[in-house]
Amino acid sequence: MMAAMSTGGGEPGSQAESRTSRSPQAMLERRYARLGLLLIAPSIVVFSAVIIYPLLAAIYLSLFELYTPTLEGGFVGLSNYRELLARGEFWVSLRNTLVWTAGTLSLQIVFGIGMALMLHQNVWFRSLARSLILFPYFVSTVVAVLVWRWLFNDLYGILNHLLVEARLIDMPIDYLGAMPNAMISIILVGAWKYFPFVVIAVLARLQTIPDVLYEAARIDGAGPIARFFDVTLPQLREVLLVIVLLRAIWDFKEFDLIFLLTGGGPVISTQTLSLLVYKEAFALNQMGMGAAYGVVMMAIMLVFMIFYIRQARKGDSS
Amino acid sequence: MMRRILFNLSVWSAVLIVAFPLFWMVVTSLKPQVELWARPPALLPLEPTLEHYLTLLRDTSFLVYFRNSVLLSTATTLLVIGVAALGAYSLVRFRYRGRESLAMLVLFTYLLPSVILILPLYLMMVKLGLANTLVSLVLAYTTFALPYALWLLRSFMAGIPEDLESAALVDGATRLGAFRDVILPQLLPGIISTALFTFILSWNEYLFALVLVNSDATRPLTTGVMNMLISSFNIEWSMLMAASVMMSLPLIIAFSLLQKYLTRGFGAGAVKG
Amino acid sequence: MQNTHDIGPTRSRRALLKALVAAAALGSLPRQALSRSAELRWWTPQGAPAQLDAYRYQIAAFEAVNAGVSVVLEPLSDESYATQLAAAFSSGQVPDVVTHLPSFSVQSYYARGLVEPFNDVIEAVGPGDYYPGANNVFRAADGNYVATGIGNSAVNILWLRTDMMERAGLERPPITWDEFRAALTKLHGRGIYGTALPYGRNSATSLVFIGFIHGAGGQVFTPDLQVAIDSEETRNALEYYREIRDFSPRGATNYSWGDCLTAFVSGATATGLYTGRVLANVRDQNPRLADHITCALWPRLSRDIPPWTFNDFPSVFVPAQSRHKGLAKRLAAFLFEPEGYIRQLHAAPGHVLPVLRSIGEDRRYRDNDIIRKYRDEVNLMAEAAAGGYNLGYESNAHRANEKAGEIIASGVIADMVQRVVLNRENVDAVLSRTARAIEEVMKG
Repeated sequence: MMAAMSTGGGEPGSQAESRTSRSPQAMLERRYARLGLLLIAPSIVVFSAVIIYPLLAAIYLSLFELYTPTLEGGFVGLSNYRELLARGEFWVSLRNTLVWTAGTLSLQIVFGIGMALMLHQNVWFRSLARSLILFPYFVSTVVAVLVWRWLFNDLYGILNHLLVEARLIDMPIDYLGAMPNAMISIILVGAWKYFPFVVIAVLARLQTIPDVLYEAARIDGAGPIARFFDVTLPQLREVLLVIVLLRAIWDFKEFDLIFLLTGGGPVISTQTLSLLVYKEAFALNQMGMGAAYGVVMMAIMLVFMIFYIRQARKGDSS
Repeated sequence: MMRRILFNLSVWSAVLIVAFPLFWMVVTSLKPQVELWARPPALLPLEPTLEHYLTLLRDTSFLVYFRNSVLLSTATTLLVIGVAALGAYSLVRFRYRGRESLAMLVLFTYLLPSVILILPLYLMMVKLGLANTLVSLVLAYTTFALPYALWLLRSFMAGIPEDLESAALVDGATRLGAFRDVILPQLLPGIISTALFTFILSWNEYLFALVLVNSDATRPLTTGVMNMLISSFNIEWSMLMAASVMMSLPLIIAFSLLQKYLTRGFGAGAVKG
Repeated sequence: MQNTHDIGPTRSRRALLKALVAAAALGSLPRQALSRSAELRWWTPQGAPAQLDAYRYQIAAFEAVNAGVSVVLEPLSDESYATQLAAAFSSGQVPDVVTHLPSFSVQSYYARGLVEPFNDVIEAVGPGDYYPGANNVFRAADGNYVATGIGNSAVNILWLRTDMMERAGLERPPITWDEFRAALTKLHGRGIYGTALPYGRNSATSLVFIGFIHGAGGQVFTPDLQVAIDSEETRNALEYYREIRDFSPRGATNYSWGDCLTAFVSGATATGLYTGRVLANVRDQNPRLADHITCALWPRLSRDIPPWTFNDFPSVFVPAQSRHKGLAKRLAAFLFEPEGYIRQLHAAPGHVLPVLRSIGEDRRYRDNDIIRKYRDEVNLMAEAAAGGYNLGYESNAHRANEKAGEIIASGVIADMVQRVVLNRENVDAVLSRTARAIEEVMKG
């Protein structure tokens, strides 16, 4: 997997033959290269149309001061960028985004691995248990958020009621309107919603770990915890590297869940960069500024991603 | 034995905690309006009713939204899987200049936040005359689904041993023939898992649907249901929960049918280097 | 009810057909190609089922007298209409008629040339029939009218439970803030909250709090639109809003309109703030309260300060880019035809109040269970709403504020409330910061 993550997939086929390339062989190679390009062409076309073009448009827009409904306004160069970096709100939102991403991602990974290990064992009604666990990932964010808001409700919500009943609290908790509750709540709901993805991937990988490895560890006298750290975790390393990357990107970009759950409040304590982009572009009608925030957001992700892949590769080669 | 029972109990309590919102969703959808405002809330409906389901099916556009979602998600999945399978094959098994930069580009496009793509995309759809159609949503959904699918499929593809393909080529098969006869069957579990993930992503998408389509005839479930049942003066909780249950059903069914492939797909592909 | 069933199935069949065609042809057919002649698109964020039924009745009637014209109703959500309109305006694919947006949103669009002047529609409806001053809020800087009211709504109405007042020994609704606080102290307790006010990060909080600023005798802008929020009056309002915080449920920190309404209707609070929709919701959702509710104007700091009723002035307007402006205006004027208009008002009795005197006095309008049962309440609201204001139009002396929509959307006022009430930040610092943020929006 790391090979795939680095750049190429597996080494292209028939390498030995191509070394001793003679004329017909070279022709075949060229034909293959053309075929390869032909096969990737649809992807490139779609990418250019729906991704590259809007991306360039966004970068272009970020150089203007634009009123969203008319897209009229003047060229301002880099001043949007200068202004946003000087704004406190940007840095607060960036911090919120990082807290949210780190918090929810680590919970997803921990719960995900834990649950996968449990479901890998022989549990009663295992198939039903697996389906139930995967359910949060299937419901749409809109639905998940509504269900949670209904659970969290201060007057008619079951959660407060159960906690009061169990005498764990004596006043209803304000889950979404106060800090740090609001941040904790969105992190928990995010973890609940997305940890099944980790479960699926880890569970699949667990099934392919040869039993011999565990046997050997047992003979060496390793207990269950030692076996987890010495056998399971190293085997999971590759799949986890990929999952962390995919999930981190998704979480960093998350909009629906936070927007519908807290709308960024209280004040701006849970306002992440995605919400800030939306607010600038569609609430304040400052399309240029919104686009600038979006571009900066992407740049930040890019830096993180490159750093991460570097580290992962370094770990790979050692 | 005791340990086994304890283990099972703890696993199942964890599962039930995770599934509790599902349970509560079903319970709420069966409660008549008066019971909703009961304080404290009752754990089970006193007089369960199916009225909310019936109202949704009979008196609202729920079925139209449902059909839109089905068409939309199916079309997106087919388009994306078709394009991505060929693309992944090319990226993994062919050599040409720029291949590596292309692979990086795929990952890069995965970074784009939907929020900044919306407006340029919308303007583009208008220019193409596609605004307010399901097609515009299909195209919009490829912005997040294609990088994702290409990426997953690429790693599944990398997990398929090369000797099989080489053997077929030695036997005189063409590259495309080998793709069809050798790679595709091997890739099937991977394709199914990727398709399922793509389908889920499109089924659940909210933001693009909010901006790109406005008429009830083209709205998918996510925005349609929100629009219909939530307003500033009222949230129809029971109906909302009933709608949620019905929205989740197709995915649950699809999943239980495909569960086998899902784990196998990940086991075979994404996992191997 | 009759007409729902007549119209429902055909509508959804047509909708279905369109969806299928669109998907099958993979978009080779743009929507316009499907309609033979003019198709008008009507957007509204007021889409409760009963209201949609009334609109469909009006549409059917309009289509019957305008052969070849079809009207498509496209309900939006309150939270998202700004985004959808932004996309529509920037692309030129606009709806032909938009109803129930607050007046200040329309002013903001008009200032950018996106809205058609509405003088001729007002002429067609009959300017003499409007309640006096009903269209003032729609007058733009250039003297034109940008829209007209399709209804009035009195938003910050104080709802009260008469049974609880009796038990607490309260004889009349509170008029001043002190009286209100004293009443809350008596009413609050034993599982019932005194009131439910919004403290969330949303427009409800901003709009309600602007009412409190005026209740203290202050204003957000001076008549010539200089920012005036950093004042002693705002300080008083903030302090009072903080003092009464604990009479609202814990979760009020996340409340918006719907939560405030439901809290009162469900019987969880003794008082509440909302429009006349309370009446219909009590009838439908909690009829046990029906004989125990009444309403009053929202209290203010002292009797010397005149009451300030917040009316969002739900409007009807026609976008300038509409391709069927003539027809669209005809439809807009048609919406005031008594038969259909009364149905529309009856769909949310007491919530959307008539703007035409002839309708308000019409026997058919009066002939409604809610309007009859709560005659005094409805009259009170109608009067308060007609003399109401909002941030785009803080008083008769104020110029129209084209940026009011953006100020609400930016959330600066809700931010201010949350910082002072919930975070207990320094009031002076927050106020000067808020004033700067508002100036920023005014410039932008």
